Amino acid sequence: MSRFTDAVAAELVKVRTVRGLVVGAVLATLALPLTSLLVVTSGGLGEQDTLTSGAATGTVVGLLAFGAWGASVAGSEYVHRTITVSLAAVPHRPTLLLAKLAAAGAIAAVGGAAAALLSVLLVHSAAPPHTHHLGNPWSLVGIVLAFVAVTVVGVAVGVLVRSSTASIAVVAAAVLLPKAAAGLLGGLQPWVVGASPGTVVTQLVHGGQLADDQTFPGGTALALLSMLAVATAVGSVSALAFGRRDG
Amino acid sequence: MPERSGSAIEVENASKVLDGVRVLDRVSFTAEPGRVTAFLGPNGAGKSTTLRAILGIDHLDSGRAVIGGRPFREHPQPLQVAGALLSPDAAHPARSTRGHLRILAASNGLSRTAVDRALELVGLRDLADLPAGQMSLGMKQRLGLATALIGDPAVVILDEPHNGLDTAAIRWLRGVLRSLADAGRTVLVSSHLMAEVELIADDVVVIDEGRIIAADTLERFLGISGSLEDRYLGELSSR
Repeated sequence: MSRFTDAVAAELVKVRTVRGLVVGAVLATLALPLTSLLVVTSGGLGEQDTLTSGAATGTVVGLLAFGAWGASVAGSEYVHRTITVSLAAVPHRPTLLLAKLAAAGAIAAVGGAAAALLSVLLVHSAAPPHTHHLGNPWSLVGIVLAFVAVTVVGVAVGVLVRSSTASIAVVAAAVLLPKAAAGLLGGLQPWVVGASPGTVVTQLVHGGQLADDQTFPGGTALALLSMLAVATAVGSVSALAFGRRDG
Repeated sequence: MPERSGSAIEVENASKVLDGVRVLDRVSFTAEPGRVTAFLGPNGAGKSTTLRAILGIDHLDSGRAVIGGRPFREHPQPLQVAGALLSPDAAHPARSTRGHLRILAASNGLSRTAVDRALELVGLRDLADLPAGQMSLGMKQRLGLATALIGDPAVVILDEPHNGLDTAAIRWLRGVLRSLADAGRTVLVSSHLMAEVELIADDVVVIDEGRIIAADTLERFLGISGSLEDRYLGELSSR
């Protein structure tokens, strides 16, 4: 195996060998379906909603859970000082960081796919029979991509700030603030809010039903690409810092 | 201990400034294969920074630190080149001993046999499932040593490995270090236990305030002094 695949394998073992990280991944996976189920069973599914849009109602909670998990994965390396052992075993820093991002992203992809599927099944079983169409199932891919993106950002921020708690706070702010502080953004609002992961998923699920100031000007596909580009940019900044700083 | 051709550690004019303080000032020395090199100095002298720089964990502002002629990060199988114990606390408290070592094995494509061999070597086989957070300092040092030796490396770097060890464990470690060097490996070890160092070291490097103030064979360094402790303290106080 190559140096990179060995490093990815090691990162997966890191997650598997700490119960808290395994439980965190499971909880992150359950966050979306359980929240969506809660919304649907409490009468939150409107007449115009589809099973897919109902399944996506817990997206923000899922985003927060996966982002916090990603931040914990990276932050715990610094909190417990295992980063020195990691660097002594994989001293080529780009390989170590890429492996960390790839492993966390892969777990988020599997967890996100399971979450989306489970969410649709739960909403289908909870909704009154024959009242709601399936909707666009491809939008569930967008949910998975959003979960992967926010997890990657969580890991990258964890590496940048070297603390689980602080990185979780930063990721939570990144998920929640664009919409909460939308009014302060002026002309940038549709660009920032429209490319934020929660809104990207809403655009995918609901199509053109969002207000103009929350819809990404270039369309849904570009909003999705912008979200992934932001995640890549944050990952690149963390790579730069990780390469330059002492371990 | 199986025979292993060693690689020298070479540090040349290594300098580093941290928060405006020059922590390393043109540090130069060599640790040779087949020998135990003791790296001595008071707290804050620059020992740990030097060891971390050799492994590429800390960056140098100038100069170089190489193993086998190359920076450590350029070796394709790092754990087979150098293994290190830098801190006994560098293990996740919720992760088992075996889990900790399995990560290292996976990272360098080593088999699970390497994990069992390392556990056996440091006497932790029966405690393989114990989380690191429940270990005594002595056990953590053993785990750190297993971390250093899992790849059967040509170079072994140990930062104060005697801390927390009881008398029997110190004697055991003495035997391990001697056998590593006798098998051709390069052993670089920092310690404050002068009496212990005197028993195991072939060469001595002394650092103080970021500068190398002595580097010689133990025999020549001792000269006519009664003990390493006397000679070491004399060297420090003469500055």
